[in-house]
Amino acid sequence: MQPRLCRGCFDALITLLLHMGNLWDFFLKYSRWFLFVIYVVASCMLMFDTNPYQHYVWMTTAGRFTSTIYGTRANVTSYFNLHTINEDLQRRTADLELEVIALRRRLRTLDEQLQTDSIARDSVAQPFGFIIAHVINNSVSRPHNYITIEKGSEDNIRPEMGVVDQNGVVGIVNVVGPHSARIISLLNPKMRLSCKVKGREHFGSLVWDGRSPEEAVLEEMPRHEKFRRGDTIVTSGYSAVFPEGIPVGIIIGQEKSKHDANFYSLRIKLLTDFSTLSTVRVITNDMQAELNALTEGEESDSRN
Amino acid sequence: MTKTALQFTLLYIVLVLSQAIVFNNVCLFGVAVPFVFIYLIVRLPVTLSVNWVLTIAFSMGLLVDIFSDTQGMNALACTVLAMMRRPILHLYFPREDELSAPEPSVRTLGSDVYARYLFTMVLSYCTMIFIIEAFSFFNLLRLLLCIVCSTLLTFLLLLGLDSVLSRSR
Repeated sequence: MQPRLCRGCFDALITLLLHMGNLWDFFLKYSRWFLFVIYVVASCMLMFDTNPYQHYVWMTTAGRFTSTIYGTRANVTSYFNLHTINEDLQRRTADLELEVIALRRRLRTLDEQLQTDSIARDSVAQPFGFIIAHVINNSVSRPHNYITIEKGSEDNIRPEMGVVDQNGVVGIVNVVGPHSARIISLLNPKMRLSCKVKGREHFGSLVWDGRSPEEAVLEEMPRHEKFRRGDTIVTSGYSAVFPEGIPVGIIIGQEKSKHDANFYSLRIKLLTDFSTLSTVRVITNDMQAELNALTEGEESDSRN
Repeated sequence: MTKTALQFTLLYIVLVLSQAIVFNNVCLFGVAVPFVFIYLIVRLPVTLSVNWVLTIAFSMGLLVDIFSDTQGMNALACTVLAMMRRPILHLYFPREDELSAPEPSVRTLGSDVYARYLFTMVLSYCTMIFIIEAFSFFNLLRLLLCIVCSTLLTFLLLLGLDSVLSRSR
């Protein structure tokens, strides 16, 4: 009984090994196709991983190796556009100076009115601050554009912070490495920005349609409102990312919405010149954690 | 053999870096983008096993992807191109064993056959990469324009690179 059982086992093992050999031969013979399929599946997995907040840091330009190389290049190329950038800064300074004069005048009149009942102003009411950062990589010609800056989590930069430059809105921080971060540019269909026409209350969302790096579309504007060419588009301040009133662009045209006849789409010329981006400001918001906690609470409420 | 391997490793590094630092920022008239790094896939020796060619092409595409934030697009196109390499070469040069040296070049194939082989490779790559990109915005006219212009630009650049490299050797 015992030896027969052993023999049976042995036979089974031999057959298995022979078949394993066949299997192995099969693998070897078609190894190129197996390898091909593995590589294709791997790249498709990377491509269709649509959640932009889950990209690995090392797979993007926010990784240490890539950002070092791009930092070195930026040391050289950042001098190229200084002339235009200088002009933009001069213009912006002039605008701000005018605004300061206007505000001073207003403050004086208000002060005079408030002489009787003085209210103590709360300095905590201003939650926004800026971190200055240099752009080390940037693209405008691709269907999905990203920007890389040389500051990261060690400089207190966190995902979902807003980014602006001297002319207007640039994008939102997306992947953060220790010394570099990747920003989703406004020139990326994954980015939607809540905006409104300056001086009005109706708001819509700004998306890029891939046509030109200087233009974008403001969707979902109500039809009964009249808008004129040259009106300024600013951020609406409905999210914690951007404060209200940061300039975004200027209306250059109007078209009927493709999806809904009750809405207009406005064609916007962007104020930010993405092709000469060099220094940007990342907006920090002390209240952001608090606001996020609130909205998360809302979402879990609605889920229940 | 070691000398050739060393030469190709050097070419690999130089091509990836030049694509990342210089050619990724070139975009003529908004349509023509040069993809210079596929030159390595064109030039790898015919005697090298397909598994190696696939691995080299995939890793190269992945590196270029990391540098340009395209997440797998170039890796996919490179892998397919590596698989198509031999059939394309056979199309113009059926007698593979008659090659005087294992690398496809002007010297081994003759300038006429080599130019056709190079052009087909570049055209296949540009077609693939722009069709993959077209998943985000679809515009047929623009797609065709991008494919044609990028193919021409890349082809001319690679011919230039070829003449420089063959002279220096």
